[in-house]
Amino acid sequence: MKVLDPAVKSVWTIKSVLRWCILLPFSATADVALFFSDNNTFLPGLWTGLLIITCLVWTLIVPKLRYKYWRYELREEDLYAIRGIWNRVQTIVPLRRVQHLDVAQDLIEGNYDVARLVVHTAGTRSTDVVIPGLPYEEAVRLRDTVRDFVAEHMD
Amino acid sequence: MQEPSVEFRRLHLLTFVHNVFLAIVGFAIAWTTSPESSIQRSSLIFSVIYVVIMGPISLAKYLRFRYYVTSEELVMHYGVFKRVRRNIPSDRVQNVAIERNFLARILGTAAVKIETAGTAQAEGVLSFVSVREANRIRDLLHTAKTAHTPEENTSTFPSFHLTLPRLLISSVYQFSLGLFAVLVGVLQQLELIGLIDIEGFTERILEEYLFEVTNSLPYTVATLIIALILITFILSWILGFVQNFIRYYNFYIELGPEKIHRKYGLITLREGALPYKRVQSFLIRSNPLMRLHDWYRIEMQTLGLESGERGFQPAIPFAKWSEIVTLGSKIRPFTVPEAYTRVSRRTIRRRCLRYTLFILALVAALYLWWPYAVWGLTLLPIMWGIACLQYLCHSWSFHDGNLFIRRRLFSQQLWVVPIERLQAFEINATFFQRRLDLCTLRVDTAGAGVLRHPKIIDMRRDDAEKLLTELYDVFQGHREQERRGN
Repeated sequence: MKVLDPAVKSVWTIKSVLRWCILLPFSATADVALFFSDNNTFLPGLWTGLLIITCLVWTLIVPKLRYKYWRYELREEDLYAIRGIWNRVQTIVPLRRVQHLDVAQDLIEGNYDVARLVVHTAGTRSTDVVIPGLPYEEAVRLRDTVRDFVAEHMD
Repeated sequence: MQEPSVEFRRLHLLTFVHNVFLAIVGFAIAWTTSPESSIQRSSLIFSVIYVVIMGPISLAKYLRFRYYVTSEELVMHYGVFKRVRRNIPSDRVQNVAIERNFLARILGTAAVKIETAGTAQAEGVLSFVSVREANRIRDLLHTAKTAHTPEENTSTFPSFHLTLPRLLISSVYQFSLGLFAVLVGVLQQLELIGLIDIEGFTERILEEYLFEVTNSLPYTVATLIIALILITFILSWILGFVQNFIRYYNFYIELGPEKIHRKYGLITLREGALPYKRVQSFLIRSNPLMRLHDWYRIEMQTLGLESGERGFQPAIPFAKWSEIVTLGSKIRPFTVPEAYTRVSRRTIRRRCLRYTLFILALVAALYLWWPYAVWGLTLLPIMWGIACLQYLCHSWSFHDGNLFIRRRLFSQQLWVVPIERLQAFEINATFFQRRLDLCTLRVDTAGAGVLRHPKIIDMRRDDAEKLLTELYDVFQGHREQERRGN
């Protein structure tokens, strides 16, 4: 079974920090309000502090663990993937069920030269199986292999 | 831009009557639900503005909407700001459904919905045409495929008709808590505008027949709670009865050579044809009471035909087990397995733990405000009992190319999933499941709901792996056969 490109850890770390930063304006507002209020039970800066600590702990742990548990393999007739920290998920997508394929890359991923392979099926729950953190060429190669398989077995 | 040879048609003129009627209803609701005169005035102003702007637009929309049908295609031109010309070739049409709601039936019109394989939603909708026109469209689009109308020689094909006595019996088993909530909301709204006085009314009844409201408090509260539960129960039962009766009135299904034809409804008349290959799996439902009297309902899971039914459509709303199996296996062949395998016994432990934690958290939270919440702990043994029963009700069987999954204690489900219809396979194991060496096996069919889908919860790990391999082998075998057949 193959592992992801280690660079994906950096991508996830940056994304995690950015995601937590969305909450920053809210906590900052709460703290400013606290600072000017007469209520002295809470220290001003409490919310922002909590946010930063949570963000740090989360960012230090989660991307590494997620990377550790991600495995995938393109087998002869199907795509096999195992992932998940809390909820471990094993998925088998028969290649004949593939509807269409995307190789996606955003700005951060582009910077680290990794890409996602998105495999769409007609099902609902695992409609889109996403393999993140593939080296770009690898993602394109996988896509082409699957595409050729699908084209060859079209009835 | 010119297609002179064919004649474009417009929708029925009564489209307008319908729109005006809806506008009046909307206006009436806005008027009566706003309690103060200032809000009423502003709602009036908004209504006038709305009519001034939307009136011409809806007229333009009506004038712009033109269509024509030949046996090869359906062409629609529409749109005011964005003009759309849509062609649907008739060999791509999967289903032509004719729907007539209450108003449409008074006016003698129908809505025609044309569905293609591409999307889950209807791709072409002609919302207002006369009934004759609707039938003409359907016949034109259908005859392109088969030069045969199945409704004429009914006796030759297997069919099922829900007779009136049976419809009445089936309605008895229905409850609708959702409708009850709606009813309560409407009553509240009516009370707000002063049409009725629920509070005074109930107080009078209570005082006249039961007790003085000002009496000792605990007794009153207890009686009120019991009365509330009773009222909820009875009203949701009546509402469920009415809903079921109206929806499945005169239900008729017929298995034609290429398509399944269905027709049902009292107020909104639904009629449609469904190709066999769109049926993905079956869901046979029941509840303990219905099971006691051997009543079941079978639904087909399709590629999401009507959004309101979330891709599940009744094949037979109410029938005996033997009838269900006979007709169901003609839609997609299956034979009922004799024995089912239970999931791991450890599921009881996991469920008990989950319920206990949930109840403890709830009681603890409530206790802060209301000390009597401690009595909530009496729920614990009840939930443990339910956990045991849930274990007994959850089992599976892989038999004859179909995966059978039985689930649920109260609203019992039996899934029948043909292996060749599967899209993806999945094994999930949460942290707690991994500690007990358990996992959940899920299979995915095209268009299955996110919430309602076939899964086997808490199988033993190695059992799940074994079943998965077995399923996958059969799945691959099917594909091989299909390929060789082609």
